[in-house]
Amino acid sequence: MSVKQLHTLSVEDKIFKNLDGSDDWHIKGYEKRGGYKGLDKILKTAPKDIIEQLKASALRGRGGAGFPTGMKWSFMPPVEEKPNYLVVNADESEPGTCKDRDILLYDPHTLVEGIIIGCHSLGAKTCYVYVRGEYIDEADHLQKAIDEAYEAGFLGKNILKTKVDVDIHVHTGAGAYICGEETALLESLEGKKGQPRMKPPFPAGAGLYGCPTTINNVETVAQVPPILKKGVKWWTQFGRPNNHGTKIFSISGAVNKPCNVEAPMSIPLKTLIEEHAGGVIGGWDNLLAVIPGGSSTPMLSAIQADTILMDFDALREVGTGLGTAAVIVMNKETDILAVMTRISRFYKHESCGQCTPCREGVGWVWRMMERLSHGDGEIEELDQLFKVTKKVEGHTICAFADGAMWPVQGVLKHFRPLFEAEINKAKKKSKQNNTAKSA
Amino acid sequence: MSDDNQITLTINDQKVVVDKGTSIIEAAKQSGIEVPHFCYHKRLSTPANCRMCLVEIKGAPKAMPSCYTMVGQDMEVYTNSELAQNSQKGVMELMLINHPLDCPICDQAGECDLQDMAVSYGSDRTHFKEEKRAVPDKNLGPLIRTVMTRCIHCTRCIRFATEVAGVPEMCATGRGENMQVGTYVEKALESELSGNMIDLCPVGALCSKPYAFTARPWELEHTDSVDVMDGIGSNIRIFHRGGKVMRIDPVECEDINEEWISDTARFSYDGLNRSRLTTPLRRKGKSLEACGWPQAFDAIKKAAGKASKPDAIAGLAGDMFSAEDLYSFNAFMKTTLKTDNVDARTDGSTMTGKHRCKYVFNSGIKGIDKADFILIVGANPRLEAPVLNARIRKNVLSKRLQVAVVGAPCDLTYPTMHSENTAIILDQIASGEHPFAKQLEDAKNPMIIVGAAATLARKDAPQIMYRLYTIADQYRVVNKDWHGFNVLQQKPGRIAALDLAVYPEEKGKDTAGILKALADKKIELLVLYGESDIPPESLKGAKTTIFIGSHLSPYAEVADIILPAAAYTEKTALWMNTEGRAQESKKAVAPPMQAKEDWKIFRALSAEIADPLPFDTQSQLRALIVKRAPVFENLNTFVPPKWESFGLAGHILDNAFEQPVRSFYKTNEIMRASQVMTECQDLADARADVNAKQRKVG
Repeated sequence: MSVKQLHTLSVEDKIFKNLDGSDDWHIKGYEKRGGYKGLDKILKTAPKDIIEQLKASALRGRGGAGFPTGMKWSFMPPVEEKPNYLVVNADESEPGTCKDRDILLYDPHTLVEGIIIGCHSLGAKTCYVYVRGEYIDEADHLQKAIDEAYEAGFLGKNILKTKVDVDIHVHTGAGAYICGEETALLESLEGKKGQPRMKPPFPAGAGLYGCPTTINNVETVAQVPPILKKGVKWWTQFGRPNNHGTKIFSISGAVNKPCNVEAPMSIPLKTLIEEHAGGVIGGWDNLLAVIPGGSSTPMLSAIQADTILMDFDALREVGTGLGTAAVIVMNKETDILAVMTRISRFYKHESCGQCTPCREGVGWVWRMMERLSHGDGEIEELDQLFKVTKKVEGHTICAFADGAMWPVQGVLKHFRPLFEAEINKAKKKSKQNNTAKSA
Repeated sequence: MSDDNQITLTINDQKVVVDKGTSIIEAAKQSGIEVPHFCYHKRLSTPANCRMCLVEIKGAPKAMPSCYTMVGQDMEVYTNSELAQNSQKGVMELMLINHPLDCPICDQAGECDLQDMAVSYGSDRTHFKEEKRAVPDKNLGPLIRTVMTRCIHCTRCIRFATEVAGVPEMCATGRGENMQVGTYVEKALESELSGNMIDLCPVGALCSKPYAFTARPWELEHTDSVDVMDGIGSNIRIFHRGGKVMRIDPVECEDINEEWISDTARFSYDGLNRSRLTTPLRRKGKSLEACGWPQAFDAIKKAAGKASKPDAIAGLAGDMFSAEDLYSFNAFMKTTLKTDNVDARTDGSTMTGKHRCKYVFNSGIKGIDKADFILIVGANPRLEAPVLNARIRKNVLSKRLQVAVVGAPCDLTYPTMHSENTAIILDQIASGEHPFAKQLEDAKNPMIIVGAAATLARKDAPQIMYRLYTIADQYRVVNKDWHGFNVLQQKPGRIAALDLAVYPEEKGKDTAGILKALADKKIELLVLYGESDIPPESLKGAKTTIFIGSHLSPYAEVADIILPAAAYTEKTALWMNTEGRAQESKKAVAPPMQAKEDWKIFRALSAEIADPLPFDTQSQLRALIVKRAPVFENLNTFVPPKWESFGLAGHILDNAFEQPVRSFYKTNEIMRASQVMTECQDLADARADVNAKQRKVG
């Protein structure tokens, strides 16, 4: 493969130049870093051409599902009776993920510029940014950035005399994970209970208030301006085909230097952890497992982690996914059963409750995990637990239940002996107790 | 064969042809294949959240909800493949893990969807070893008993309240396994249709409070009949045991009540067993004492014999009577007692049975589905006919039907345009000055609904009717393909009374005349048949007063002789609903103790006094009724009458329309006798008080 395997990005190539917060996040700082330059030229480009460029760039959604953005944008119908909307999903709640947080905090103008171009491309005049309820400072920075952009004439009516009108409204959620699911987000935005909708209709046909709507992740939208400004060729030099570009990886867990880092796609996981996160605590050989893309993606074993490339296709091939690229590293000191039980509890707490399998199943699975991870149960129940996850997975309206079941399936696949050991230990102990009593 | 609107698919390898836009679950139902489901209901929106109806569609990556998925050409659907069965079985197990196993003490047992589905599609054991969930019960008022632990969160009740009843008070609070169905704030539901949630609830979470623990479904016999608590004649099923009505449920009837009934129809049945007249009574001084039928008849014969002339005899009939009742009463008065002083229009209306089009719902209730603009005049359909109002609401929501109201202020559960409350608005509409005129003009199928209760009893009713006729004519409310002029009768017996001419036909006195004569002490024998709109004080003054009715009422105070008759559940009879559609009620239970069916009383009494009336059996009576009014011949068919001019030209009074219903839960003697209805009315009154106070403060 003639792809240049880059492991680090130069400052010029970084899209989020202030991701570490070392520079000024206000409009002046952003403009100094090259922001809003050439915006008028892009706003004069026909939306069709913009979408063609995005298609050529093979930009895939950064929110988890990895749907090609250019294709998504091409689904939007021309504006007729109803308005078109752009909705930005900043309800970042996936455990381990904190990339949008730093974008909103330290480089909010990247998003604002992306929204302006997005609205122009989609025929939308209004954009809603749905910010996670817990992100108070983040929403504050975004709002300030929006105010600055209005003042500078980048938002409002007839932006830079290009006859493009864009308004941005920031809406904060109330702290529900499920509102990150795009249709639940729309429900919540409309003032209803955040529960995913059945599809079809897809949001591009009937989304917010029944109008055509495109929903994108913060990072995706923010990456659009650089692609258009620097060109598809620049963008496609990073990553393998179909996985091009740069990506923020949130690396946490048992690493020496947990961080958010923007790196090229298709970077080997090992390189990512060693070069950017200071390596695994206790050395690479001390690695136990890695969750590659946020808590809902199944984990990779240490052996898999050795060689895997971090991109959509490579991770899908081994039965997991890039997700939000939130890499959670666990070394041999980690009580993995406790970690997975905690993740399970998180999903039990966040299920919206409308579909029977998810409402009833995630609680059942968590309770079994809680029991079995302490050895309270029978070895056959491990098979039972796996069967329950299969009864829940794939039977619900949205993918939440799938995401809640995969980690459990992952731990059963890779670490079943640990459960068995706990169960046997507990059995031995109770046997001893019984003998002691009867004696 | 290849119709554009038809789709061919296979379900379980069976070829099925259905209309485009049909869901798989409906297509399966049409071809006799059952797909288990809980949340899906054809009259509600489809949330696809119970996940019970998952089926395999060849080519789809996973099992699909058959309620939400529409049929496609050449689709191959399997409801019984391994994938489908595993999905259904899995969902059923998850559905049951937190459902209590309390069927032995659950009122729903025996007619429970969950029970049935669990037997057909579930497993015989569970693998669930954790603790089950318990949910606190909610107080939804005197009609619905809740056991929320049994709730499976299908949200049918929430969707019914929001979509059909139009009272968005039910909701699911909390999320995940902590989600609870209930009201936002704890209070009784403000809906006239709330009882339907009991039918919709697929489990025993919402049960009937009055019916709680009184019977098991397998002990009950049932009789399909017609409801008479309002004028639309909802089809009902009366469940009874040992001669006692235990429960009333709706029966599906697309033309009339879809599958809903009002709370008054469903819950007033305890009034059938309270305050009943069970034996003839005779006045002895100040008190009434029981006597036999012969003694009572004897006394009536004597009183009739003593009457100086036929004009000194008068009869008034109430509004809760069937064709048989009214015909035999009318014949008894006019033939046996030879008086023309007879009236069933005790509200003071002077309308006669001429021109049927002026007192029936000409478009049929189903016609509402075609209308695109409705002008309501002096009616409150929400209280006069809640089920009909739900149909209007359905069309307002789904087809953007517009509704305008000339009449007393009311909340009909959907957006309405209200004019000032005075009848002269009708003049302005007729002359085209009022904005409603433009809307009538622009509408393709305009409809007028006139409330009989608030309009036809007015002094200027003939003039109002004339004006309405003009409006109808002028704005094409009635044309070749469309008959949109409708009168909403709230009283179940009124149309039959007009059809059978239960009013003075020659020179007899009408209600006003009879009341005047009573005050002048000119009436010697007064026959009161059932309760009516006239207060008992005004009925004093006759030498002898006879009361015939099913319930002991305030009229007993003025009566000298009382004869016990049957209630609507106790007779097979013909009823004419507001559309002018004849329907037959069936005798579910016998009249209590010595009470008799009404027509038998009049027939027997006529033989005591003079020649017997010319019918010995009910079929002979029916033949006479049909001869008098041929509309009674064809049951359950709706024939719109001919459009003719009616009304009298003249001035309309500048008077407001009154509220047609004062106490919704107390509109007839059965409801007044019912404890459940009393509780509902008390709550409604308290609510009205609070609202009035809030308005004052505001």
